[in-house]
Amino acid sequence: MPHATLVAVMEGTDNKSSQRGGTSMNVPLFMTAAHELKSPLALVRQLSLTLENGDHSPAEIEKIAHQITLTSERALRLTTDLTKTSRLEDSLFTLEPLNPASLCESVVEELAPLYRAKGKNISFRSRQRTLLALANKDLLRRILLNFANNALHYSADDMPVVVSAQLREKGSRIRLSVRDFGPALPKNVWGFTARSLGPTAQTLHARPESSGLGIYIAHQFAEAMSARVGTVRHRDGATFYVDIAASTQLRLF
Amino acid sequence: MKRPRIVLIEDDTWVQQQHARVLGTEFEVHAAANALEGIDAIDRIRPDAIVLDIFMPGPNGVVLLHEIRSHVDLAIIPIILATNNAAEISLAQMKPYGVVEVLDKTTMHPEDLPAAIRKALS
Repeated sequence: MPHATLVAVMEGTDNKSSQRGGTSMNVPLFMTAAHELKSPLALVRQLSLTLENGDHSPAEIEKIAHQITLTSERALRLTTDLTKTSRLEDSLFTLEPLNPASLCESVVEELAPLYRAKGKNISFRSRQRTLLALANKDLLRRILLNFANNALHYSADDMPVVVSAQLREKGSRIRLSVRDFGPALPKNVWGFTARSLGPTAQTLHARPESSGLGIYIAHQFAEAMSARVGTVRHRDGATFYVDIAASTQLRLF
Repeated sequence: MKRPRIVLIEDDTWVQQQHARVLGTEFEVHAAANALEGIDAIDRIRPDAIVLDIFMPGPNGVVLLHEIRSHVDLAIIPIILATNNAAEISLAQMKPYGVVEVLDKTTMHPEDLPAAIRKALS
């Protein structure tokens, strides 16, 4: 039985003017963003109050302080993403040849402390030698960070999240993906998720009980550089991916 | 003296740890990361009280409330909701499901949680 039972792709190049969050950040998105920021801020507050009021061992204090740092960084990543999303309309994003494997590795390196602190594991796997990609490095990095952040929440403790890069469409495109391993979602639930992915992307429900804001942001960033994002359901988790153009320069050698 | 048993259902590992840290000195805490683990823990442990988050992956807290309510022997267990969305959830709405307190995680003090359990068990 094949693992992939459903593929949903958000095309990144159609109806751009109507899709982009742009400067007109809508009310549902605004509310979703506020909701998403509440969780890390509430946790930071609780941890700080605990430090203020409790009699803790040095090891416990170090652990709580580390959690405050990582949770704050998570909230800051989101605020930076939201700021960038609101300015997509006004900005020009330079596309440059970049090494997708190196980018994946840097994302893994950046999130590894957070994964470790949550008792989870993230790794990079390159299935084959990939060409250079043509993309905006910052936006692509943020797309992968959002996917990996989403995967952190939904992966099982004993299973690693795998970031990978592979060639697609006879080497004309490169797929960077984040695969998580966790409980399978019921087909009807996934069907709802897939229907949420579409050319008129709203705040997507990436998973049940998730606001999907990270995936929505990833979609906006992908669109800004004519890439496309999508997701594949597996029996044991999900893959979120971004397809980007391969750099044609490399075909010369 | 035997400590009261609490089943704590919270999907965020660090929030779960935080609640367990505060409750652990006074209660016997059994943590679960989602509604399915939660109902399993409730079945096994038969806790004196339940601390429940509402928004979780998979079946959410409301589904779990319905499930608990459908079992006569479980329906008597007091439930404390600890949520980031307390503004959208009224205690009056939740009382029929055995909820005795709704705590707002964005404004509560850590000590509010054990205080709510003490009150529920008194």
